[in-house]
Amino acid sequence: MNATFVRIDLTRQLRDVMNLMFVLVLPTLMYVIFGLSFSYANESAGNGNVKFYIMASMAAYGASVAATTVTGVSAVEQMQGWGRQIGLTPLRPAGFVAGKAVVALVVTAMAIAVVFVVGALTGAHAEHGWMWAATFAIALAGSILFALFGYAVAMLFKSESAMGIASGLLVVLSFLGNVFVPLSGTLLDVARFTPMYGFVGLVRWPILEGTQSGSTQVDPLWALIANVVAWLLIFGIAAVLAVRRGRARR
Amino acid sequence: MDNAQPALELQDLHKNFPSDGGRLNAVDGIDLAVDPGEIVALLGPNGAGKTTTIDMALGLTVPTSGTVSVFGRRPQEAVRAGRVSALLQTGGLLRDLTVHETVLAIASLHGVKSRVEEVMEATDTARLARRKVVKCSGGEQQRLKFALALLPDPDVLILDEPTAGMDVNARRDFWATMRQDATEGRTVIFATHYLEEAENFAQRIVLMNAGKIIADGSTSSVRALAAGRTVAATLQAHGTIDAGDPRLAELRALDSVTDLQVNGPRVSITTTDSDAVARHLLNGGQGTELEISAPSLENAFVQMTRTSTTPSDADHVGA
Repeated sequence: MNATFVRIDLTRQLRDVMNLMFVLVLPTLMYVIFGLSFSYANESAGNGNVKFYIMASMAAYGASVAATTVTGVSAVEQMQGWGRQIGLTPLRPAGFVAGKAVVALVVTAMAIAVVFVVGALTGAHAEHGWMWAATFAIALAGSILFALFGYAVAMLFKSESAMGIASGLLVVLSFLGNVFVPLSGTLLDVARFTPMYGFVGLVRWPILEGTQSGSTQVDPLWALIANVVAWLLIFGIAAVLAVRRGRARR
Repeated sequence: MDNAQPALELQDLHKNFPSDGGRLNAVDGIDLAVDPGEIVALLGPNGAGKTTTIDMALGLTVPTSGTVSVFGRRPQEAVRAGRVSALLQTGGLLRDLTVHETVLAIASLHGVKSRVEEVMEATDTARLARRKVVKCSGGEQQRLKFALALLPDPDVLILDEPTAGMDVNARRDFWATMRQDATEGRTVIFATHYLEEAENFAQRIVLMNAGKIIADGSTSSVRALAAGRTVAATLQAHGTIDAGDPRLAELRALDSVTDLQVNGPRVSITTTDSDAVARHLLNGGQGTELEISAPSLENAFVQMTRTSTTPSDADHVGA
């Protein structure tokens, strides 16, 4: 891994204005709209207030977009032949992947941080300080799920438009996953099995501990973790298969 | 120092790919040894196997069988040590990096950030420094790739179609830069289908076709493989010479004529006795505006790639 190289890569990602819109601005905007403009905003929710709950949800969404985009972009650049150029340097595949992981973590952390800062300034509240850190850490760690997702989508669709597809999918999955608007009834039952559900449930765990705002059901911790692990396997296998298919085609 | 080792050595190298209904022999058994300091042109039509051979020399592709070594080491080791570098035809650049960022990124991977300025000056990319790659013309992008290839100051420089996308002036500038930069001892291997580039810049030409080497020797000796000269003449004022024109039959009937091509009102005759053909045209064949050309690499190239299929050994001519 090489510091200058990673710095240049990071700068390049952050220069992509379209990306920034989705990764930084949109989640924050949605927090402001959903979290601040309604009267229930300051009511308590679990171990904090509703604002915090919404902030955590939007931060989770932002983290998923960030992770998806960074890995997706790196898959596309491999396809455009940059990988061959790198192949002429001493950088080994492991070093390359490590560098990309750093970039992904930094961008994801920024996405979460921006929402958190706005949340903190506008009265999001949690009972204990450690809950902020825990929520942050869980969102960051869980974003790996979407790093794999982004890679799989990019290798499957093999074009610049793959990123648009991935972003669109994430929006749909977020609605289905109980991220933006509380679901109830059958929709909630179905939502339990979607990729965003487990992830956002875990992100909200410090605050809500599995309770819902749309129903009285409580998700046990093991169920949320099982969801994340299952989707980790699915996306991971999809990514590996997509890479193999891509390599075999000469 | 490993100067006793060939800079590049290929032994019975094969590479095939799965393709519809079987396997495609991209490289079909080639042997090649290039000594340090040689300047070699790899000449051949598209699909001859030049790029695949280059990929194997750089460790980007693994051979199906046979060996390839650079200064006696595995290609990937040589690449990591910065001893061999390349300008790739199908290697991509990142669209949204600036020229300077691209050079800096690759330089830092090689550990040669100090060389960025001099390399950019040498390749005339310094003035493009702040421009995004996507906004550079094809020729400018080639110069950038050339800069990237020069960064590790390699002992072996491999160029795959280095002037693709360049106009005539850019091409001239490129070879002028190559001449200036060609420090004594740097081995240069370049693949091209521009015959004049091979003729003007290479000491040694390796002719490839259909995955095999069909000729390998000095420029003059490869040129001599072409039998004869070309005599061209105008036979009529306008239009295209009719295929049934009796003059064509007469010309073909001459003993020394090996080939005859019609180009509109002109005819192009390949012959081993250009004097006899010229006399025939001037005396009774009503030919005008005669042009007699020296044996050319183009003739050799056309003849050999048209007729060669599976020669038992390559024509190795004295260097």
